[in-house]
Amino acid sequence: MADKKEVLRLQELAYNVRANLCKLCGGYDGNIHMGGDMSMIDILTCLFHHTMKVGPELAQDPKRDRFILSKGHGAACMYVIMAQKGYFTYEEICETYGQVGSKFGQHPCKTRLPMLEASTGSLGHGLPISVGLAASAKQKGENHRVFCMMGDGETCEGSVWEAAMTARALKLGNLVAVVDRNHQLMTSFSEDSVMMDPYVDKWKAFGWNAVEIQDGNDMRQIVKALDSLPDAGSQVPTVVIANTVKGKGISFMERQIKWHAGSLNEKDLKTAMEDLDKMIEEQRKEQV
Amino acid sequence: MKQSYTLDEYNSARSVVGDTITALAAKDNRVWLLTPDIGFGCKDFKEQYPDRFIDTGIAEQNVVGVSSGLAYDGNIPFIIGMMPFMSMRALEQVRTDVCYPNLPVRIIANYAGLTGNGGSTHYAMEDMALYSSLVNMTVCAASDPVQLRQIIEKSLDYEGPLSIRIDPGKENRILYTDDANFEIGKGYTARDGEDITVIACGEMVSYALGLHEEAKKLGISVRVIDMFTVKPLDEELVLKAAKETGRLIVWEDHLMKNGLASAVADTLCDHGVSPKSFKRFGVPQVYPGFGSAEELYHLYGYDLEAVLSYVKELFGK
Repeated sequence: MADKKEVLRLQELAYNVRANLCKLCGGYDGNIHMGGDMSMIDILTCLFHHTMKVGPELAQDPKRDRFILSKGHGAACMYVIMAQKGYFTYEEICETYGQVGSKFGQHPCKTRLPMLEASTGSLGHGLPISVGLAASAKQKGENHRVFCMMGDGETCEGSVWEAAMTARALKLGNLVAVVDRNHQLMTSFSEDSVMMDPYVDKWKAFGWNAVEIQDGNDMRQIVKALDSLPDAGSQVPTVVIANTVKGKGISFMERQIKWHAGSLNEKDLKTAMEDLDKMIEEQRKEQV
Repeated sequence: MKQSYTLDEYNSARSVVGDTITALAAKDNRVWLLTPDIGFGCKDFKEQYPDRFIDTGIAEQNVVGVSSGLAYDGNIPFIIGMMPFMSMRALEQVRTDVCYPNLPVRIIANYAGLTGNGGSTHYAMEDMALYSSLVNMTVCAASDPVQLRQIIEKSLDYEGPLSIRIDPGKENRILYTDDANFEIGKGYTARDGEDITVIACGEMVSYALGLHEEAKKLGISVRVIDMFTVKPLDEELVLKAAKETGRLIVWEDHLMKNGLASAVADTLCDHGVSPKSFKRFGVPQVYPGFGSAEELYHLYGYDLEAVLSYVKELFGK
């Protein structure tokens, strides 16, 4: 059972990420991928604040865990979490996001933001890159893990499954793929367009250690799953499949195709913040 | 008399690739070798450095992505692949995962031009156009094993991504002696001449040397530049040739548009230089059928006979 205090700490952090992301979205006249950000915030918060050995003080440390945001359109969400970790300030993101010369834009750019592990954004690219990072670590005898965050939609890309076969062949037990299984593509519900199910079995068929989180927006379940990862020195790569809700936490975004990405006006921002306040209040009550 | 040979033996004439990379791996532990199931000449490397060897199976996108990850972690991955697929199937991975972050991934791929004998699915006649379009990419076309070895060796300390197109290699044609010096980014003047310059790369260089000899018999002095680095182009050498010989031929086993000839034409245009004559030889706008490379060069009008005929006419011989 995950420690209650730790779960609440992470829930508070996730609440803060959601709120800061909404404020960023409210202050920026352009699209931010709110739907897929909201679905992965809980698991990303747990990864950065609980699971992974990362942080600004470790940015040059070869022993740090590596994180690849393969669903690169979730960059804004990652920036906000990185700001919590102290890599830079939240204010810097808000003041420069999407502007000429900024380190922060719609997809992560390592050229502009060197503390990232890779430039990502084109879907289906992150897992092959992560396989390379994990193979390198293993060859050098290093014990860190490589985490790769994907959306379920991007696993339509064949390159994901090419990499899945290589990872298994190379026995990359230090590789952890995380799938934000929010059951939505950009313009449709995934199962209306492509038959992904039985999704967990697909990964098992590729020889991976497949772990499913029934509710990937429930911090207790997330912590439990990520606390039970096999040793980095094991021989089989792990995929954590988190069933999530796209737009989670914002009443008018949840499971709405139109809220793949967008921008918030003052009224919608207010509603969003009220929704988030309600969510965290309930979580606080549950954990008492 | 026809001899029997396996595909491995057919490809193994290019063992210079595998041998050179294996030698580099011995002195530099950043060197990795990856292949999407092509792997000619990989045997020694695989045996000696199994922990730095990856065969992804027939998965070009993946082999580039994995190489990107290795390079992000400070390694120097060499990929041995087949050029039609490395340049087209994996183009986006090469662009976004290798060129965008400017990583030292080296792509060495055979079946350059029409040398593949496989029909149009297996001809790489667009690769130099596609790779030349990529920011940070250095594009090479090797004409002989001595040159190929030097490019591979020098690539170890070369910044950014680099590609080398090669032919399959049954005819392991040696054009140069070991004392020839090839610098990445510089053209190599293989033969001096005063009347006309042939700028060639890859497979066509040996034909250009043949042209030099044939033309000499007719009293025509042909300069031959082996432009083994197509990008960045040695503009100085092009402009010097235009100035000194006046006439230019560009000869490549690639589409005549958007390859070496277009790069040379860009240079002339950008510098406001108008040569007395400018002629391209290469693949026209067709999807070529089956046949040996020699037969196809003849069919599409860019074999030695065709170019010699053009030169004769030009000089009234």
